[in-house]
Amino acid sequence: MLVEFELIQKAQKGDGGAFNQMVVAYRKRILGTIARLIGRPEDVEDVAQEVFLRLYYSLDQLRTPEVFEPWLYRLTVNASYDYLRKQRRRNEARMSDLSEQQVMMADAAAGGKASGEEQRLKQVKELVDSLLQSVSEQDRILLTLKEVEGLSLKELEKIYSVNENALKVRLFRARQRVLNAYQAAKRGKGGKAPEQG
Amino acid sequence: MDQNQELDHLFEQYRAALPDPDAGVNFMPELWRKIEARQFFLRRVKKLTQVFVAAAAAICLLLGIVLQVPVSSTDRQGVSGNYVDVLADANPTENLAAVGIRIDYVEPNGR
Repeated sequence: MLVEFELIQKAQKGDGGAFNQMVVAYRKRILGTIARLIGRPEDVEDVAQEVFLRLYYSLDQLRTPEVFEPWLYRLTVNASYDYLRKQRRRNEARMSDLSEQQVMMADAAAGGKASGEEQRLKQVKELVDSLLQSVSEQDRILLTLKEVEGLSLKELEKIYSVNENALKVRLFRARQRVLNAYQAAKRGKGGKAPEQG
Repeated sequence: MDQNQELDHLFEQYRAALPDPDAGVNFMPELWRKIEARQFFLRRVKKLTQVFVAAAAAICLLLGIVLQVPVSSTDRQGVSGNYVDVLADANPTENLAAVGIRIDYVEPNGR
């Protein structure tokens, strides 16, 4: 844990300074997780503020220190879901206003500005994003938390409130689907994936 | 490297491609502004709820009083009994005789 339970208890009693310290301790990690879950850097801070806002108003329900981090992650996942749901509705409207050519030109212009290393990382990001499209949104978030964020099964069990076996099965299936998509992508590119490391 | 390892490596690179961003300078002030705005909203809702409950209680009390008053006032005037009694009081037999209506009382056995 990044903070002591006493600090959480102080924040529960309405100590604004203690709450500030908690936010400062966790915000970088939460911002990173949100960035990888929603994929839109410009909206990451808004979603993170929503997470800490929900934390502030539900802090009095926390009883034991062990569940604080999984609980914070659950708030993060829920806020990200809510954002993605809203975004999907907004995107449907926005994309219908643009012609396909306009979208391609915007993508090309954004790609042209990046340097060599940035370009490679961008390719990796695009590839993984496209691979993760082969699973449902819920499984994509679960897989991202496990494989990218590096959360353990025990932590995921607490976040999702389901047993470890059910999680293992879900993760295995999602990973298999991603692997199949990866194989298909490699075949499509003549066996070449983006340069590793 | 088998494909599972390749995928793991790809996930590692993906993480490197998306590092944890730093919060902007306005992150905390903006967060506290949102917290205070929500607090203000909740306080308003609470106050409105209290006003509504108090108004509802006052209306109930008023209605109770209004409904109680006519009942007690009619009791005081002594208006009670059924429809026939009220009619008989309003039209006594002397009045009916005066307008030419005779009411002969007949015993049930016909005498």
